[in-house]
Amino acid sequence: MKRSKLSTSVAALTRRSVLATGAAALAMPALTGRGFAQEAVNVGVIVPLSGANAQFGINSRNGIQLVADEINANGGIKSMGGAQINLVIADATSNPTQAATVAQRMMSQDNVVAVLGAFASSLTLAISEVTERRGVPLLTMSFSDQITDRGFQNVFQIVSPGSQIGAATFDFTRALAQEAGQTLEKIAIMYEDTAYGTSQSAGLRKAAQDAGIEVVMDEAYPLGITDVSPLINQLRRSDAQVVFPVSYLNDSLLIVRSMRQQGINIPTIGGAAGYIIPDFREGLGDLADNVLSISPAAYDQAPDYTERFREKFGYFMVHEAQEHAACMGCLHSALEAAGSADHAAIREQLQNSVFDQGWATVMSGGKVEFDEMGRNIHASPLMVQWRGGELVTVYPKEYATGEVVWNS
Amino acid sequence: MTRFFYPSLAVVAVTVMSLLPLTLDPQGYEIRILCIAMLFAALGQAWNIVGGLANQISLGHAAYFGIGAYTSTILLRLFSLSPWLGGILGMVLAVLFALLLSVPTVRLKGHYFALATLGAGEAMRVIANSWASVTGGPVGISVPYSRESSLWMMQFPTVLPNYYLFLIALVIICLVFWKIQTGALGFRLRAIKENEQAAEVIGVDTYRAKLIASTVSAAITAFMGTLYAQFQFFFDPDTVFGVATISVKMALIAILGGVGTLLGPLLGAAFIIPMEEFANSYFGASVAGLSQFAYGVILVVIILINPRGLVALIGQIKNRIFSKGGSQ
Repeated sequence: MKRSKLSTSVAALTRRSVLATGAAALAMPALTGRGFAQEAVNVGVIVPLSGANAQFGINSRNGIQLVADEINANGGIKSMGGAQINLVIADATSNPTQAATVAQRMMSQDNVVAVLGAFASSLTLAISEVTERRGVPLLTMSFSDQITDRGFQNVFQIVSPGSQIGAATFDFTRALAQEAGQTLEKIAIMYEDTAYGTSQSAGLRKAAQDAGIEVVMDEAYPLGITDVSPLINQLRRSDAQVVFPVSYLNDSLLIVRSMRQQGINIPTIGGAAGYIIPDFREGLGDLADNVLSISPAAYDQAPDYTERFREKFGYFMVHEAQEHAACMGCLHSALEAAGSADHAAIREQLQNSVFDQGWATVMSGGKVEFDEMGRNIHASPLMVQWRGGELVTVYPKEYATGEVVWNS
Repeated sequence: MTRFFYPSLAVVAVTVMSLLPLTLDPQGYEIRILCIAMLFAALGQAWNIVGGLANQISLGHAAYFGIGAYTSTILLRLFSLSPWLGGILGMVLAVLFALLLSVPTVRLKGHYFALATLGAGEAMRVIANSWASVTGGPVGISVPYSRESSLWMMQFPTVLPNYYLFLIALVIICLVFWKIQTGALGFRLRAIKENEQAAEVIGVDTYRAKLIASTVSAAITAFMGTLYAQFQFFFDPDTVFGVATISVKMALIAILGGVGTLLGPLLGAAFIIPMEEFANSYFGASVAGLSQFAYGVILVVIILINPRGLVALIGQIKNRIFSKGGSQ
């Protein structure tokens, strides 16, 4: 099948040849030390490969590919007679209807054992409606709360839900300020006027209100803004102690550059997305240093694994790649334990196992375990900071690999 | 050709479409594509009533579609109200919105009308994004998943019943369009299309004709929104109020198929939806983005060959074959 071309495994086995091999194996058990290669196991990967989120989708695909290649190189799924993993990769586009159609296609035509994806929450939500109805496990790193609060049986969320990430962004910032001897009283929020910006900023605003902290600047701006100086002037006048700019890559580059050029060096806390990818550093150079951001996972937590990504692809393992790799790691263990391609058996393993082997260990706490809702109980958001082209985890303390630099 | 040719063709087509899904996997991929194709054929036909017959090019029909999707889903979530009733309520709201919108737009012509309607659709998208307490905001909204099958609640274990709902809706909408097209209203609308001032001079109440056409179109579009919500189970403001995903696509399907004709939206949807799917499935993984590119090129080529769409194109081909055959 043309779609499967990207996969690296030996997918060329036909049903007939497998049956023939199987028959041969049955006929001469004494002569064969171990089982013959089985039919490949199809794993569905649905990520945005075109449109605004394409780069994140490609990163995600790379992460999954790396793990699948390693599994195949190490002899495939051993409990299934060394069956190889065959990734069926498809473009989710940026349209939920299309994403659900792609999922349907994979399930009926490629007979996938599970689906991984789809980066953007709206795409994942649409896909989950289809996978749930067919009982196919879906592993995701999308963090919308809605993904796991609908009582679905077949969806597994490897990162903390969005509300926790939102609250952590604020709480961690306050804790870091306190450590630096500063009491947080005034904060500024600026956000792009899109679905992403609106929902992220709403979480921040609520956390600030709950903590009784004044939001002295709360400004939406249009996506793709070309002149940020009014925003920066307002920020200067607002006398805020920290600023939370919620934006994707291009706007964040513009905002941080203008701030630094005008000598505003208050701590700047991004909301994942564009703030923790190599392009951010490339676009800003040294100005990127000491910018903080929340992240659902960080590559410095498990360098033994994540450095393999850097070796293969030439850039550090961005969080979406890492989390998707962890999803693939969990699925690998579940397949080994289930010993079959049966959806229910795999789901059973995903629900009831503790994943503390292989790629699952790259998540915080070094393991993954899903509760009844399908949420990873060990997941914890992390605060990371740019330091000379690398991201360093600075909070919470038990995960920190470096000291925070508060005022830059 | 006898006057029974087209009716019998329609009967054959409906029979084939009714029997076709029985040969397919009821939870499968093909049946889903057919459902989406019928959804968009119905939407194209609804658009055709105003856009095709009266040449009022609306780029804001997503407003009605989204109203239908949101109304029924919100009522279902809050009060467990049947989507059938929610859908009817959605139609009522869409009609009210159409009436409201007609006040400032009915005197507008051409590009101005298109722009005004485009703005109306976008306004609804912004409202759905910001009114998070009711609509669920930018994250989107899910239809609660019930494991019980119920026609009243539009919950089915497979896609097959959805398929028949779409088919029935499509047939009804085509009949409505045909009724309007061949009736007095159709003549009035075509008079408006040709020359609005002349139509007024000969005594056509152009305001009333346009108003009736746009409310019928709005109501139909809203109900399709409800059917879509119950089929897709999850949607967000950017999808149901989207310019590219709904508004332009509705118009595109009618225009590409053959604007103002009964067959146009059917051909348009039967062509565009499978082609999009084919492009995504074959180029989606290897050269993502190429699918949209190829799709765009094909659309441009068809419109260049014959701006009146597939219906005219087929007519052209038919004529050529007949004239080559040396008839007459």
